[in-house]
Amino acid sequence: MSSNPTHKPGTQPEHHGTMTSYVTGFILSLIFTLIPYYLVTHKTFDKTELLLIIFGFAVLQMAVQVIFFLHLGREKKPHWNTLFLISTISIIFLVVGGSLWIMKNLHYNMAGMEVMDKIATDEAVYQVGGKQAGTCPAGTGTNHEIMLMGNVATPTHVDAHVCDTITFMNHDATTREISFGTSAQPAMYAGEGSMTAYGRHDTPMRLTELGTYKFHDSKEARITGDFTVTN
Amino acid sequence: METEQGLESHEAASDDRVGFGFWVYLMTDLLMFSVLFATFSVLRNNTAGGPMGNELFKLPGVLAETLILLTSSFTAGLGMLAARRGSKSQVLMWFGLTFLLGVAFLVLELKEFAAFVHEGHTWRSNASLSSFFVLVGTHGAHITSGLLWMGTTLVYIWKRGLDSHLVRKLSLLSLFWHFLDIVWIFIFTVVYLMAFV
Repeated sequence: MSSNPTHKPGTQPEHHGTMTSYVTGFILSLIFTLIPYYLVTHKTFDKTELLLIIFGFAVLQMAVQVIFFLHLGREKKPHWNTLFLISTISIIFLVVGGSLWIMKNLHYNMAGMEVMDKIATDEAVYQVGGKQAGTCPAGTGTNHEIMLMGNVATPTHVDAHVCDTITFMNHDATTREISFGTSAQPAMYAGEGSMTAYGRHDTPMRLTELGTYKFHDSKEARITGDFTVTN
Repeated sequence: METEQGLESHEAASDDRVGFGFWVYLMTDLLMFSVLFATFSVLRNNTAGGPMGNELFKLPGVLAETLILLTSSFTAGLGMLAARRGSKSQVLMWFGLTFLLGVAFLVLELKEFAAFVHEGHTWRSNASLSSFFVLVGTHGAHITSGLLWMGTTLVYIWKRGLDSHLVRKLSLLSLFWHFLDIVWIFIFTVVYLMAFV
């Protein structure tokens, strides 16, 4: 593009961009913004795939900006700026990757969410026919276990009394969203449409409503069953 | 593309040092942002029963912010080309446009923040929102200081005309602006898009 061949001193001649490089960079960065936006708003992929894809686009976008806007690598040798950027990115990988790794393990071992769920279940209002009739004293009632393993639930039927508990013992790594009713006919149990059974954790549920209720996992058709609550 | 004839004057050598020093600042700033990103990523689901990102964020507005910032990075680049040609009026036009786009971005961001606070979702609500406001707010503070720097530099250029010192200043400023654009791309991806995955 048009450029004055006589540089003024101090205008840093080694870092120049050209009109072509700016326009190319701009168009590419628009494309790399709109594609991930479209993919996320249209949910075209699996969760993990989508996460990797949109992060990949962010990295591509960064590369575009570094090359076409910052003109890195076109400085005089030795490429101190580029080397410093690379070392910074390495430190970022250590700090961010390390933090996520450690905190993921910490969360896995501490199971903070389950404590909240347990308190909520223990304090559950004892309802009969939708009417409040007092609360279940914590620590009373029999516990019934339903094991989630290898994508199947055993047993598939539980007979229980009011204020008993059912504990979903999830032996799989996958976290299950146990919904009440069937996928065709969703139902509510004790005011909840579903409960979360975290991977490799036991999730208790207080039985406060009478009747027979089906449960299922919306993602895994083989996990299904029902429970009957009597007085 | 023009051939690069290195001018080994004393001034150019000192500019090299200033440029590298500024680059070192940008990299340490990047490290700070990376720590804020790590904090946000760890705490993003700790909403203490409050709404998750996908119930809170409005993606179209965020896309608008992103496109505005991308365009402002582009116009800053065109302003730099004008500065190297020594065209004062074009420098004022392109960087003036960059400045306005920066203000538009900041207004959209503050409106988003204000809407959250108005709905009762403040930085005190939960750990997720605290880390959100710190990360995105730090970027917004950088944009604000970039705008102050740009505004004062443009006034200098308007009053005194372009000299090599001001061109130098503009080149550091545009470097800063492109850098903020890159940080925003990661905020757009990690904070906003990933909330909807």
